[in-house]
Amino acid sequence: MSLPSATSAGELRSLAERIRQGDASAETELVHEFSHRIFVMAVVRTHDREAARELVQDVLMAVIGALRKGQLQDADKLAAFVHGTARNLINNQLRSQMQSPPLEPLPEDLAQACSPERLEDAERVGLVHQALERLGQEDRKILWMTLVQSQKPGEIATALGLTSEVVRTRKTRAVKKVADLIRKKMSRT
Amino acid sequence: MNCKEVEERNILEGYLLDRLSEPEREEFEKHYFECGSCFAQLQTGLALQTELRRQPAMPARARGASWRRAWVWAPAFATIVILFSAGIWWYSARNRQSSQQVSSPPKVSPNVPVQVQLTPAAPSLEELARVEPPSYSAVVLRGVEDESHETFRKAMQFYVSRDYPHAIPGVRAAAKASPQNASFNFYLGACYLLAGQTDPAIVSFRMTVSLGDPAYSESAHFYLAKAFLQKREVARAQDELQKTVQFHGSLEAGAAEILRQLPK
Repeated sequence: MSLPSATSAGELRSLAERIRQGDASAETELVHEFSHRIFVMAVVRTHDREAARELVQDVLMAVIGALRKGQLQDADKLAAFVHGTARNLINNQLRSQMQSPPLEPLPEDLAQACSPERLEDAERVGLVHQALERLGQEDRKILWMTLVQSQKPGEIATALGLTSEVVRTRKTRAVKKVADLIRKKMSRT
Repeated sequence: MNCKEVEERNILEGYLLDRLSEPEREEFEKHYFECGSCFAQLQTGLALQTELRRQPAMPARARGASWRRAWVWAPAFATIVILFSAGIWWYSARNRQSSQQVSSPPKVSPNVPVQVQLTPAAPSLEELARVEPPSYSAVVLRGVEDESHETFRKAMQFYVSRDYPHAIPGVRAAAKASPQNASFNFYLGACYLLAGQTDPAIVSFRMTVSLGDPAYSESAHFYLAKAFLQKREVARAQDELQKTVQFHGSLEAGAAEILRQLPK
């Protein structure tokens, strides 16, 4: 699977220019570069994965449409432009509660590049599952109380009979363990 | 916003939990739209949250907590076991001795004192208080290094060569310039402790603990315990060692072993 790249500013600038000139491969690169980011942003803001998947397509279509027409004035700000477009469309969506008419769909080849399987990052979720199984029950519990129940270290500490600093440390360590495993496994693929 | 701020202000978790203000959220999004490393961490955080949501609700009290409650009784239980074992040993030794006396006379010369070592000698408080220097490897920060980091890095060259008294002024200056830096405070405590200055070591380790930096909390408690052992304040050392054990980190086994060996 391809990881979201940390494309340099120069590459992003040329990407915008190539899209303006009608280079189809540049559009695919743009989708690869930003689809995951838009998806994550939309999931966090809408709490609705289905809506987020649709929003990715809407945002990318709006961005590509604008780039084709040369509407991006400063090519150095492509990432900010994509983010701004995403923010506006997500906010519109939240305001209108899905009542706005859908934008023109992405062409088939581009739509495949941001398919649900790719966006959901199934490999990463699978690895997270493995990593969680390797953690001790109490560390899993601390993560669960933090990320699912949204509890603060002080509250978790009270519930588990620990101190806040122990909770913070064990949470940090557990997240690091998970991240290390993912990094290790994904760098092999 | 930069990567350091994201880490220090726990932005990623705040973002996933909708705890950021709108300007903070926007700033972080702009950052991860350009930063591959922070975005990879965010993806992992989101995957973790997704996976944890799929798991069944966890009981209000983790099993570990009941083990911890049991731990409170561990010293009493250990004492009973030791007394019981000692009783059995003494009884069987006495029986063996009397049967040997019946079967054969002792072959030991009366001029040679007989030393009977009943159990391996328990380590003394001084031995338990002995300190191994916490490991240190210099981290060179990307970008411009500020003055306090530079002072710290230079002073730690003395630390690496085990010249702790000479490391103190520089590390202290760095900690004074950046009092919120847990690393500076922790190594200042270590320098003091290794230079035999226990009281200022305790102050620095307490400062480290109060900063709540997960990277140094466990170690700070452990070395605080060592400092208290050097002052022969066993109860306080015990308290710090028990806190160390709770982290279940790399110092857990060492702390538990000292707890076991501490005079009751």
